[in-house]
Amino acid sequence: MTRGQKALRYGVLLGFFLLLAGPLLWQLSLSLKGAGDDLYAQPPQLVPSDPTLGNYSDVLDRVPVLRYVANSGLVALMVVGGNVIGATLAGYALARMKFRFRGLVTGLFVVALLVPIESIIIAQFLLVRSSGLADTLLGVALPTCVAALNVLLMRNAFQAIPPELEEAARVDGAGVWRRFWYICAPQVRGVMTVVAIFSFVGAWNDFLWPLIVLSSEENYTLTLGLNRLRGTFFSDPRLIAAGTIIALAPIIAVFALLQRYFFRGLQAGGIKG
Amino acid sequence: MSTPTLVKPVPPPTRQGRGGVGRTHDRWWAPWLFLAPALGIVVTFILFPFVNTLALSVTDATLLKPGHFIGVDNFVRLWDDERFRTAMTNSLLYVVCVVPVMVAAPLVLAALVNGGGRLLGFFRTAYYLPVIMSSVIVGLIWTNLLDQRGLVNEVLRWLSLVNEPVGFLSDRWLTLFSAMLVTIWSGLGYYMVIYLAAMANIDQDLYDAASVDGAGPVRRFLNVTAPGVRSTSALIGLFSSVAAFRVFGEVYVLTGGTGGLGGQNVTVTMLIQQEGTGLQAETGYAGAISVVMFVVLGGLLAGQLWYQNRGER
Amino acid sequence: MSGKRVLLALPAVLALSLSACGVAGGSSDDSDAQSTVSGEVKGEISFQTWNLKGGYEEYFNGLVKDFEEANPGTTVKWIDQPAEGYQDKLSADAAAGALPDVVDVGPEAAFTLASAGMLLDLSKTDAEAEANYLPKAWEANHFPSLGGTYAYPWYLNTGPSFFNTAVLEKCGVTGELPTSYDALFTAGMTMAEKCKSDASMVGRLPAIENFGSYGVPLMDEAGTTFTFNDAKGVELVNHYKELFAAGGLTEATLNELQTGEVDAFKAGQVGWLPGSSYTLKDLKETAPKIAETTEISPQITNDQPNMYIESLAVSAKSENTATAVAFAKFATDRENQLAFSQQAAIFPSAAGALEDEYFTKDDGTDETALRLESAKAVSEAIVYWPAAFSSKSVDYLREQIALAVLGKKDVQEALDESVEYANGNLPQ
Repeated sequence: MTRGQKALRYGVLLGFFLLLAGPLLWQLSLSLKGAGDDLYAQPPQLVPSDPTLGNYSDVLDRVPVLRYVANSGLVALMVVGGNVIGATLAGYALARMKFRFRGLVTGLFVVALLVPIESIIIAQFLLVRSSGLADTLLGVALPTCVAALNVLLMRNAFQAIPPELEEAARVDGAGVWRRFWYICAPQVRGVMTVVAIFSFVGAWNDFLWPLIVLSSEENYTLTLGLNRLRGTFFSDPRLIAAGTIIALAPIIAVFALLQRYFFRGLQAGGIKG
Repeated sequence: MSTPTLVKPVPPPTRQGRGGVGRTHDRWWAPWLFLAPALGIVVTFILFPFVNTLALSVTDATLLKPGHFIGVDNFVRLWDDERFRTAMTNSLLYVVCVVPVMVAAPLVLAALVNGGGRLLGFFRTAYYLPVIMSSVIVGLIWTNLLDQRGLVNEVLRWLSLVNEPVGFLSDRWLTLFSAMLVTIWSGLGYYMVIYLAAMANIDQDLYDAASVDGAGPVRRFLNVTAPGVRSTSALIGLFSSVAAFRVFGEVYVLTGGTGGLGGQNVTVTMLIQQEGTGLQAETGYAGAISVVMFVVLGGLLAGQLWYQNRGER
Repeated sequence: MSGKRVLLALPAVLALSLSACGVAGGSSDDSDAQSTVSGEVKGEISFQTWNLKGGYEEYFNGLVKDFEEANPGTTVKWIDQPAEGYQDKLSADAAAGALPDVVDVGPEAAFTLASAGMLLDLSKTDAEAEANYLPKAWEANHFPSLGGTYAYPWYLNTGPSFFNTAVLEKCGVTGELPTSYDALFTAGMTMAEKCKSDASMVGRLPAIENFGSYGVPLMDEAGTTFTFNDAKGVELVNHYKELFAAGGLTEATLNELQTGEVDAFKAGQVGWLPGSSYTLKDLKETAPKIAETTEISPQITNDQPNMYIESLAVSAKSENTATAVAFAKFATDRENQLAFSQQAAIFPSAAGALEDEYFTKDDGTDETALRLESAKAVSEAIVYWPAAFSSKSVDYLREQIALAVLGKKDVQEALDESVEYANGNLPQ
């Protein structure tokens, strides 16, 4: 790349950065504003005139954040585990195994993708309740444990693997499990990471479903717990903003950690110039 | 791990011929074992409840009262429901306008941030931020920007481009357009990630060959990257069509939890939400709306698949 | 067992259990299951409130402890639901036939649940209870079409008008602050002429309770048909239409919910805010500059002032009905309501509680003055919002009025359709 091209590339990247990440700064600023700041000032102020970290300690005082984080973490772990394992296995079967009804089963996952969740949420709750899982974290995790979307993503990823690769192993006498585990799965690690991130974010941010399933406060996930900051007779946007930042931090951390795995496959073939 | 040199690095998703010539023969139940967890969850928690929705759609059930069979009455009522027609128009427009952008723009973004290095990693993370923000915050931010007295209008007035504030959040079409903007804004990072994962599978040799031929970055993008992720593009087209038709959050938050001025911005999902949740839910009627939505989406997808298959031949 | 058989068996088992508890809706035809309270005041009950834990945890723990001590052998499990999604939570529980024993509801939820036979008729279990509450509060939970009263009145809220005098002066409104709708609209027109879209008097379209306090008859005597599409109702909407045409209502306003109205007031864009007793504190904390120029005056009404009510209902399926009823009465008695109202900025519905010193003795502060004035209003106030007017109808009415104000629909036609929709939403 020439210098000019490089400058252009980073210029564009920076522009997108401001556009996409800028609004988060507003939330950050709100969470740092003190009692002396007029939140509704016109025009809005980005830099707090009375900055404080008090809102964060207030949040930690008011709600048992650690406990909620632990609960959310547990749900996220189950959902991420379920999706990565379940969707990878199913995706492999749909993409690379031959069996009767394969088209039909693929069709079922596509149908599931189209089902409007709003119309089935009560029925889902009755199912979870009748299996005795109401008010448990497992009940929160179970219905989203394998999402149809992720199955289709994995199927697409497995389809991209050249057939020669697996055929060679097959000729060498490798069984289906060995072919899956040693040949194909390593090839789709990038997409598995994507599935992990998507399901983590989904589980971490979900509000309505955990609300319906859970009733004891000790089981609350973070989104539910932070809703406590909005009282009926008082509501401080600064606290809510601080709560949001606390809730966002783990997702940003998870993404920042995992994003380099997209490049496993790429690096194996050499770094792009 | 060594990868054999390939003639054709990313084959189109063709079905393998029946009856492989392999030495080992897989047991007939092996695929079902692989499918069991996913199929179990999806059938139990998605498909089975949806069968229930199908059954409800021909009854006059409400949340608290089981209904009686009323045939196609709900569907007749839908046909006459002004709000349903508005919702259909809005949702279909959403698909038409948003999907092409969602297929193309994230790919460009992905190509820009693809590669090693800390700085690019930082940008990748930053671009993903809108995806993880809860829709409430997203709504708050954008209503602040697009409000009649918001930043965008202030700037427009300052530049003397307009005299009266522009009703980004009150005019029927502008509101819909604003919501599309927010959808694209928050979806870019999401689809970018899928593209990034797909691009990792493109064979580096192809890039090298293109470079030898004297292709610049733009040519390499058009001739190697774009064709290399074609099956992913198709998948993203599918996902984003479903998401766009089912749009809810963006319109909901931009209109402050209403369906827009006089309900003119209501989408099909919002209508299902309005009729089908809460204590006074008309689950039968909401079920009928869900069924129609399902059929329309199915048609949309069938059309897309047909189009792609035709293109491949 | 092969994978295939697992797949077939699992849904089948769940299908059985699912049909047993009825996905199509909670069971309903046992509405007269329990009309009298039987059994002793013993055992465990659950008590659900909505978004009161943040700030009043001590009060509720004390309340539960007092009750348990006064009634040995009882346990009360207090559950508090978060701010968002209360309707969804309540409806999921109701659909599963598993309401908490004592549950915090508004009249509208009480009406829907009672119609489905899920609440206990408290006028039958305990005929004397009526005397313990303010008549207007008791009436709010009395549903003529069902012939019973299904919840004990709990806390009330009402509020005066808040006017941003700086905005009013800037836009040419001087002299006495409006207290009637006519005066409000006149002042609104003056502001429209002077300020156009920079600031306006009104920040929200009228809701059903505004029709009530404007003097529109909302429902017929029997409580079976809505009537707010009469000439008076049309007149009210026409006022808003004129205001909009003159520039005294922004387009954004036509879509505003209550929270949006409050935000607009805090940003100094709106002159009038129909507030509640905690609005003043909220203004001082989040928009101190606006609070400085805000003046308080009596609620705008052509009739009696409006109030809102929260009540405690008892589930008809409760296993310890006697305990549940006893607790609901205990929590809403004079002493406990008074204690709660001294902590939260709300008003008690128990008879005689408003005569307490706390609501009658002035100590010279703004907050007290506001409290005394509101307390006086509460004693005359009416819960205008009919319990049978569902939240879906609320949305529908707002949309129709917006279309009428925009001129996309005839005012009469818009109201006729709203009435038709609301009637259609009544339980058959």
